[in-house]
Amino acid sequence: MGAARLSHKTKGKTVNFRLPPSLEEQAKAAAMAKLISLCLKFVMLYSSVEAVFEDQVGKFDWRQQYVGKVRFAHFDTHMQSSKKVLLATEKNVFAALNTRSGDLFWRHVDKTGPEGNIDALLQHGQDAVLVVGNGRLLRSWDTNIGGLNWEIVLDSGSETVDYQAVYSSGNGEVYALGVVPHSHITIVAYSLEDGEIIKQISVEALWLSNIQASCVVIGQGVLTCVDSPTLSLYMLDLHEQSQMTQIPLQSLGLEVTPNFHPVLVSTQPNSARQPLSEFFLQLGPEHFLLLQLNNGQIVTLRDFKPAMLVSFATTGEKTVAAVMSPKNKTACSLNLFSAETGRRLLDTTLIFTMDPNGGKPEKLYVQSFLKKDDSVGYRVIVQTEDHTLTFIQQPGRVMWTREEALSDVVTMEMVDLPLTGTQAELEGEFGKKADGLMSMVLKRLSSQLILLQAWTAHLWKLFYDARKPRSQVKNDVTIENLSRDEFNLQKMMVMVTASGKLFGIDSKTGNILWRHFLENIPTNAAFKLMVQRTTAHFPHPPQCTLLIKDKDSGLATLHVFNPIFGKKSHITPPALPQPILQSLMLPLMDQDYAKVLLLVDDQYKDLSTELIWEVVIPTEVQRIVSIKGKRPNEHVHSQGRVMGDRSVLYKYLNPNLLAVVTESTDLHQERSFVGILLLDGVTGRIIHEAVQRKARGPVHVVHSENWVVYEYWSTKSRRNEFSVIELYEGMELYNSTVFSSLDRPHAPQVLQQSYIFPSSISTLEATLTEKGITSRHLLIGLPSGGILSLPKMFLDPRRPEIVSEQSREENLIPYAPELLIRTEWFINYNQTVSRVRGIYTAPSGLESTCLVVAYGLDIYQTRVYPSKQFDVLKDDYDYMLISSVLFALFFATMISKRLAEVKLLNRAWR
Amino acid sequence: MLHRDRAALLCVCLQAALVVASGFTDMDAGPGAAAATQPSGDRFKIEGRAIVPGIKTQDWVSTARILVEGEEYVGFLRTDGSFAVNDVPSGSYVVEIVTPNYRFEPVRVDITSKGKMRARLVNYIKTSEVIRQPYPLQIRASGPHSYFMKRETWGWTDFLMNPMVMMMVLPLLIIVLLPKVVNTNDPEMRKEMEQSMNMLNPNPELPDVSELMTKLFSGSKGSSKAGGSSKGTRPAAKRRMCSHLHEASFL
Repeated sequence: MGAARLSHKTKGKTVNFRLPPSLEEQAKAAAMAKLISLCLKFVMLYSSVEAVFEDQVGKFDWRQQYVGKVRFAHFDTHMQSSKKVLLATEKNVFAALNTRSGDLFWRHVDKTGPEGNIDALLQHGQDAVLVVGNGRLLRSWDTNIGGLNWEIVLDSGSETVDYQAVYSSGNGEVYALGVVPHSHITIVAYSLEDGEIIKQISVEALWLSNIQASCVVIGQGVLTCVDSPTLSLYMLDLHEQSQMTQIPLQSLGLEVTPNFHPVLVSTQPNSARQPLSEFFLQLGPEHFLLLQLNNGQIVTLRDFKPAMLVSFATTGEKTVAAVMSPKNKTACSLNLFSAETGRRLLDTTLIFTMDPNGGKPEKLYVQSFLKKDDSVGYRVIVQTEDHTLTFIQQPGRVMWTREEALSDVVTMEMVDLPLTGTQAELEGEFGKKADGLMSMVLKRLSSQLILLQAWTAHLWKLFYDARKPRSQVKNDVTIENLSRDEFNLQKMMVMVTASGKLFGIDSKTGNILWRHFLENIPTNAAFKLMVQRTTAHFPHPPQCTLLIKDKDSGLATLHVFNPIFGKKSHITPPALPQPILQSLMLPLMDQDYAKVLLLVDDQYKDLSTELIWEVVIPTEVQRIVSIKGKRPNEHVHSQGRVMGDRSVLYKYLNPNLLAVVTESTDLHQERSFVGILLLDGVTGRIIHEAVQRKARGPVHVVHSENWVVYEYWSTKSRRNEFSVIELYEGMELYNSTVFSSLDRPHAPQVLQQSYIFPSSISTLEATLTEKGITSRHLLIGLPSGGILSLPKMFLDPRRPEIVSEQSREENLIPYAPELLIRTEWFINYNQTVSRVRGIYTAPSGLESTCLVVAYGLDIYQTRVYPSKQFDVLKDDYDYMLISSVLFALFFATMISKRLAEVKLLNRAWR
Repeated sequence: MLHRDRAALLCVCLQAALVVASGFTDMDAGPGAAAATQPSGDRFKIEGRAIVPGIKTQDWVSTARILVEGEEYVGFLRTDGSFAVNDVPSGSYVVEIVTPNYRFEPVRVDITSKGKMRARLVNYIKTSEVIRQPYPLQIRASGPHSYFMKRETWGWTDFLMNPMVMMMVLPLLIIVLLPKVVNTNDPEMRKEMEQSMNMLNPNPELPDVSELMTKLFSGSKGSSKAGGSSKGTRPAAKRRMCSHLHEASFL
């Protein structure tokens, strides 16, 4: 019923599924296509194995590794000269970064979800102790090697204790603090060496629900908690196992901003030693107090107001507190204070300039060090709302920044770069209407002159650069000098991240060319990015529209921007007061060449809609998990396949075909199934239905040309399986000029075959080229981080079980049940992409080349050549050989000519 | 490749027959199903050790992970190469060590509901086949991953063995060597050769390729050499002269 509801009422008069304009052209070219495809088959089948060559490493591919939004960060203070910072993130990643460059030393990616959640981090010497999986595991890492020391299960018998904090007194013991909400606290002491349990105690704490949010350990093991309902501090000496003592904040003369949950900050996580008795108490959004616990008495050392962020840092014997306070609208200032006395240290001001396209500072991590004159110097990492990490040195020099928002790319598009000024000028010349012969000639001449000028300038630049040493030659790509290359291989990657930050990345180098942070994005937002106008409509600027929808309320906002420069468009999108049910970009263009966006809200005010068809899928048996149409920019070059006996099997190329995937609601391994339904989007006619019994999801689907490939888990055989469905018209085309869903009397022939795949998969996508001549490959993201490029010819339902003369003629591979994973087919060799979430493919100007971007925790961009580079000279083209042969032949001709002349002359004289 | 596939197909058919015969009776299917439905059941630990021969463990453990059934359970390697994946319910799992640089064979680990463990080779086609592996797991890397194709390197022998080159070189050799073998001073022989040459070139009006080339080259370089150019620009004269020469030699 799910699908039916979606289509209900959304079908208007204007809504019809895409009928590609290329269809007619294709039909005309059908005969020729047959010929060409025959010729091309020769090229392709004999060069079907695609792989990376070692000398291509880094030539056209790049990878960026991310860790995610930081939850805990500790600078390695174990050694004075250490340049390591440990990061534990909300993406369940634990990593070590190089503070000089911001690059990764190592990174460990745990399971997603609560089971890999990092709850606490404590650094002890060169070890780091983590509480993982909502207090389930305690892990100790060797931070130098990046290997595990030990791992133990924090088990407490019958009760479910949630271990949330770790604390160390610096004597080889580590205390894990667990809480049973509104009951008691459990404290387990472990040996740091091997993780052996030393002792275990529990203390009653009826009011406590979460240690992380409200408790810290200060001084000689005093657990201090702040409770907002009672507005009081609770204290417990962990070593003496006593009752909790309650100190109302009012008795200390402190007042909390109304509706603010007070927060405590202690020195502990920053130091391997025992925590100091000083701590911060935050009483309001911009109000901090530096307090000291002195023989059970709390003394106020200093009041900071306004202060945005505070942090402690220790070097040697000195502990300092860094306080960030607002300076003006675009900058914040940081100052150091002595932790013991609260005195301000001289010459310790650091200015943090806020990016106008970024967010406000959110977290502060300080690395302090002793200078030669024994004064304290420091560097800071500032994390802003847009998940950017900035490492700053005094007095405000930015050492590096990391855009951690890119660890969570939700959707992306690739946009062609604009033509250069001269190219645009030329285009403009042809675009304008003819006005007299003379002026046309003049225009022609002038544009030729411009071209000549540009060419000489280019030559001059080449010459000028050649004289300079190579290191000085800057080839920086900036927004100003962006232009399309001759094969359209360089594009703008527009990436939308879950944090609401948008990026424009140069696909050739991976440089971030623009960034834009959208504020007030709901945490559970769904994003849909649409390219309304490409760069092809000069002088109209390209235009992208991002639809941001709150999943709970259904309320949506639109952000319209220029994908090349990232600037917000001057067009003000309409306000959307009603929840949006469905959005669709229509293939129609308005007078400004922008595609029309159809939004359907729950009021149906401006658009009358009527039900055209309905397919009822019983929800109590199965549910729809995905609906896949074909990609609108896909081209199919050959309309059929040439069989072994020279006849043609025509493909069923229905542009309105939808693949609907369902999963059974019953998950028992004997009864679960995966269903696939191919239906026509215009008529609602079910073209084909297939059910895979004893199978369950997650199902990955690719729908293209006349085939659907899907992957599922077979519960019976406990393995992953691929299945391919191909649709054919038969030996004759019904109506070769145009495809109409309403006029197709014959049902297509359906062929299906299944294969075993020896790994689970993370994502699935197919390559895409400009004209669709190149053979197709499937790009499979594996959990190991590899991206496998599997030729589609391995997933061909016509693969014969018994080889015959005809199948050999057709170059069909004999059927084998298991598909192989060959590491040579990994397009990203050892540049693994962690947690691949999506693969984006885009055609380039070269028919042989498909641009690929894989995103997940990392971003990897490369080019693939499914049929090898048949339209450009290969990288290893031997220029030396060909030129030396040419020269040799030339000289041989000259010499032999000379010899022949001499001989002739001699003979004439004889 | 096709031949190998055909052989593989045969094997596969045999195996498939075996599988059908055994009727997919898998002892561990029960616990596997149970694992999916009851998260509160007993949890077990998969233990083992990974070895990369000849490489120190600290050089590769930081890039390695243990994946149990895809990414369902994840474990990490200790600094000595050993590992333990905690909190795994009973069932049957494929355990893999993944690292970008070394290749490890996956192993299937079966855990009964009582926590009894066994390890066996992974066989996706014959899923119930048991070829025991040691448990706790001992997984040895079978070498580095091979990601790259070899470029076709170019050698002189390849060049010489090229059929096109052979076709060019052999006639050349014949042309050069034949006159040495055959006595060209013998007038009868020469006559015979001329005749055969005429037979080869039956239409004297057809432009000769070598001549055309000579014309082309002398044309482009002509201006510097006056003599050459005068000859090159008047091919008819040359031809006439040639024919004169021919006549002369006949006489």
